Amino acid sequence: MIRPALAALLTGLTLIAAGGFGEAQARSGPVEAVVTDEKGKPVEDAVVSLTSLGAPAPAPPPAKVIVDQIDKEFVPFVLPVYVGSSVSFPNRDNIRHHVYSFSSPKKFELPLYIGTPAAPIVFDKPGVVALGCNIHDWMLAYIYVLTTPSFVKTAADGKGRLEGLAAGAYEARVWHPRLRVDTEKTAKPLTLATGEPAQVAFVVSLKSEWRIPRRIDPYKGSPN
Amino acid sequence: MRFRSFRSFRGRLVVVFVGLFAVIQATSFLVVAAAVRASARNEISEELRLAGTLFVRQLESRSQQLVAATRLLTGDFALKTAAATADQATTRSVLENHRQRIEADVLMLVSPEGTVGADTRMPGRLGAPFALPRLLQDAEQTGEASRIVVMDGALYRLAIVPLLAPVPIAWVCAGFAIDDRTAADLRRLTGLHVSFFHRQGRDFAVHASTLDGPDRDELQRGLTAIRKAGVIDLRGEPHVIRVEPVGDEILVVLQRPLAEALKPYAGLFRTLLAVGAAGLLLALLGAIVVARRMSHPVQALVSAARNVAAGDFGAAVAVRRRDELGELGTTFNVMLAGLRDRERVRAELERAERLKRFFSPQLAELLSAGDESMLASHRREITVLFCDLRGFTAFAEKADPEEVMRLLRDYHGAVGALISRYEGTLERFTGDGLMVFFNDPVPCPDPAARAVGMAIAMRDAVQRLLDEWRRRGNALGFGTGIDMGYATVGRIGFEGRFDYAAIGTVTNLSARLCQEARDGQILVSQRVYAEVENLVEGIALDALTLRGFARPLIAFSVLRLRGGEPALTRQPRVKEETG
Repeated sequence: MIRPALAALLTGLTLIAAGGFGEAQARSGPVEAVVTDEKGKPVEDAVVSLTSLGAPAPAPPPAKVIVDQIDKEFVPFVLPVYVGSSVSFPNRDNIRHHVYSFSSPKKFELPLYIGTPAAPIVFDKPGVVALGCNIHDWMLAYIYVLTTPSFVKTAADGKGRLEGLAAGAYEARVWHPRLRVDTEKTAKPLTLATGEPAQVAFVVSLKSEWRIPRRIDPYKGSPN
Repeated sequence: MRFRSFRSFRGRLVVVFVGLFAVIQATSFLVVAAAVRASARNEISEELRLAGTLFVRQLESRSQQLVAATRLLTGDFALKTAAATADQATTRSVLENHRQRIEADVLMLVSPEGTVGADTRMPGRLGAPFALPRLLQDAEQTGEASRIVVMDGALYRLAIVPLLAPVPIAWVCAGFAIDDRTAADLRRLTGLHVSFFHRQGRDFAVHASTLDGPDRDELQRGLTAIRKAGVIDLRGEPHVIRVEPVGDEILVVLQRPLAEALKPYAGLFRTLLAVGAAGLLLALLGAIVVARRMSHPVQALVSAARNVAAGDFGAAVAVRRRDELGELGTTFNVMLAGLRDRERVRAELERAERLKRFFSPQLAELLSAGDESMLASHRREITVLFCDLRGFTAFAEKADPEEVMRLLRDYHGAVGALISRYEGTLERFTGDGLMVFFNDPVPCPDPAARAVGMAIAMRDAVQRLLDEWRRRGNALGFGTGIDMGYATVGRIGFEGRFDYAAIGTVTNLSARLCQEARDGQILVSQRVYAEVENLVEGIALDALTLRGFARPLIAFSVLRLRGGEPALTRQPRVKEETG
């Protein structure tokens, strides 16, 4: 009982801080995103985004997000961020990593380091940034930089949930690292009515996975 | 040894034996040679098959090494950085540097879309489509690919590996040229001739080979007829070929000369030939020996048959065998004996015929039977008859010789037939006179009766002739004398001319009696008359005083037979003791 009240209070405070408009905007009910492949299997790590066709959604406050390196893997595998977000890459392993990206939205390189680099990386251009580690070929992660703050990443059941969106007309898109088609081609209209829950479902076709397999260390019996 | 020609029996036997043996030897030699050849071919084929498998594995292993090396190269961060961020010239320079690191012949960067991003061989090739899109597709399917391909007219082993940053940003394509040097390396490994061909439809283009020019061309021409394995003649030498596909229409041809595999068998062939030759020699000797043994009796038969043809029936062939030839020899001998018998009979008959002209049939028969024992002088009681014509000398003087001969012919014809009929032995002709005796050489039971009977028959026959001659004016008569007694009978004369004669008083007396007889008279001695008294009618004469005889002799004149002619009794011939 306390948490919804707190959320409403926080929202109200945010709205006041943002512009101090007299009346509160009408909100839609929760929007459930469902992504499956052609066979009906749920697709994990898909990012469903809603772009308002009316007044653009207000930019959220700059968020600080992280991509961990745990046991020589990036965590999470897919990280959707609002454009302009800062991402830090803390290294939780006891060895060094060399994180890099040659993707055009953000080319960067964090040469061999341990711990958390002093300055996070700011992703100020939309697009897909593939992250790699120069000394561990199999390490791979994606940062998906979006121009809309309304997005959700699907869980293992292929579902995600968006709440507190303004009612109105939207365009829904889906992205996935192995999506066969361009994300722009997945755009489809979605109208959110005030207080009404909505659902947006995508059936996607995925390319076969392209990852360098992580081999088992024959001596230690554990991933190297 | 005589082999006048191969047409002789012996020659043919030898030819057939030795020929058969030679055919068997040659056949077995050919069979062995064919088997050895097939075995050698199989040996090489098997060797090539194994070598082919090894070879393909070797090539695969090299490809994997190349892929591994290329993969290692793509892990280089500088290359990734350059490919992702730097200009084309820098990227090409990095590629060139890396090409030298792995000693590749070419290194290329190909965009995920399939266009050339950089090529160490050709700086200006930027943006051109990659020559082997199918290889790229394979790499997309499996992550990386390696293949032996023809690129820009040359043969390469290509490895395609993605450049990951960490997602694929490009393909790195490393190529190692396959040329004559590569083929020579492989030949060192396998000991076989190695050639790489690119098949274009029905044609084959050679790209690398350990063979020299003419052999390459011949192999290239021969390949069209071979799918996987076969034999191709290179400069007249058969080579066993194995074809292994190692890439897109790329074939590796392995080969080995058949002669190399046949070399170990050369000794075997020499031994076979020596054994064959020795066997042939032995067969020849054996055949000659057998042929001699076979032909010897045949030749003996031939020579015996020649003798027979020449009229010599004496020589029988020696029969030592029990086979058909022995049987033939025995039969031949039997035939020879038959011929001998027949010839003997023929000769005997001929001789008897000849003798009969001169001797009485009885004597002739005895003589022709080869019994000459009675020719030896012996004593025997015989009855001797002498007869002659009266007045013949006077007639012969005045008459023509032709008429004399005609008369004698008629006379001898008449009396001769009777001598035969009464089985008398004609001792001699003396013109008109005849001497005939009985009981020798063939004994008879009634010599006196026969002599007298014959005398009467002669008298009657000659009288009929004489009547005729008298009518012609020739006064001739016929007289006969007969006596009986012991005489020495046998062969007299000299070498070249013998007579069978009787010597004794009986001969003389009968001759004297003949002289005393008048025409138509038959005078017989008292002894004779005593023998035939019952058979004939006769009259006693006055005692005769004969020349050469001291006492006068009582003689009888036989007139006629009593009651007709007596039957002649034929006696079996009984051999008489010679005395």
